[in-house]
Amino acid sequence: MFCLETYLRESENYEIHMTRSGFKDCARFIEENAPEVVHVKPGEKIVGARIIGVPPVPIGINDDKGTIMLPYTKPCYGSATVEIPVPLEEREKIRAVGID
Amino acid sequence: MKKAIILLGCPESPSQTPLAVYAANKLTGMGYKVTMASTPSAKKLLEVSDPDQHYVQDKIDIETCLDELAEGDYDLLLGFVYKDAAVSYFVTFYHILNTKSLALVFHRDPEKLEYFENSVKENTDAEIVSARAYHNPTPLRVRLDRTLDKLNKEGLNEKNDDEDDS
Repeated sequence: MFCLETYLRESENYEIHMTRSGFKDCARFIEENAPEVVHVKPGEKIVGARIIGVPPVPIGINDDKGTIMLPYTKPCYGSATVEIPVPLEEREKIRAVGID
Repeated sequence: MKKAIILLGCPESPSQTPLAVYAANKLTGMGYKVTMASTPSAKKLLEVSDPDQHYVQDKIDIETCLDELAEGDYDLLLGFVYKDAAVSYFVTFYHILNTKSLALVFHRDPEKLEYFENSVKENTDAEIVSARAYHNPTPLRVRLDRTLDKLNKEGLNEKNDDEDDS
């Protein structure tokens, strides 16, 4: 199973669009820049990690690039917006837990 | 036994650790088994403050805790909200646990304090204790005492109502 924490530790194939930001700014960036946005509840498991944020939490999906964009929050560092490649089945799982 | 979880944020503000020990002591006195969920740095501050684990016995890493958390695990959530990330963590814990919750919102900057307080208010039904605080924990402690007393009385009333019904 795909695991976000392990992926970020072990791979360099990801893009950080924003860092040390507020959650709202990260959420706005995803809303404005992702071709497709799925909203999920905070605490939902997305690519093996609990999604942290204020509801509804946007997850961007780009099927052309095969990537997702999500807010990633750490207690001392604030929120970042991370774009990572994930398999189609993981993108489908995200669509399935969407609350839109 | 009722279970409470205290959620600690980044330990940047000096008020957090003493207030966490204080809150753990108060909640234990109210009959709760207290677990402290924190970052490794906040945990180290707690360990030095309470070397014999007199006040806090159960500590868990915040990420591990969140990963395994499920509705019904705790009867009370008490969260320290000093940063934007702490708002996100508190709201996330609140939505997973779906239980009685109390946010301790504090900051030295009044604009940030208002923003964090409004964010918690808009996204949860949690009780909010808020005060301008950084070095001095007293304003927040006084308000925390008042709110915990209220919770304690509500708990006692609920218990009495249950006994009357039976």
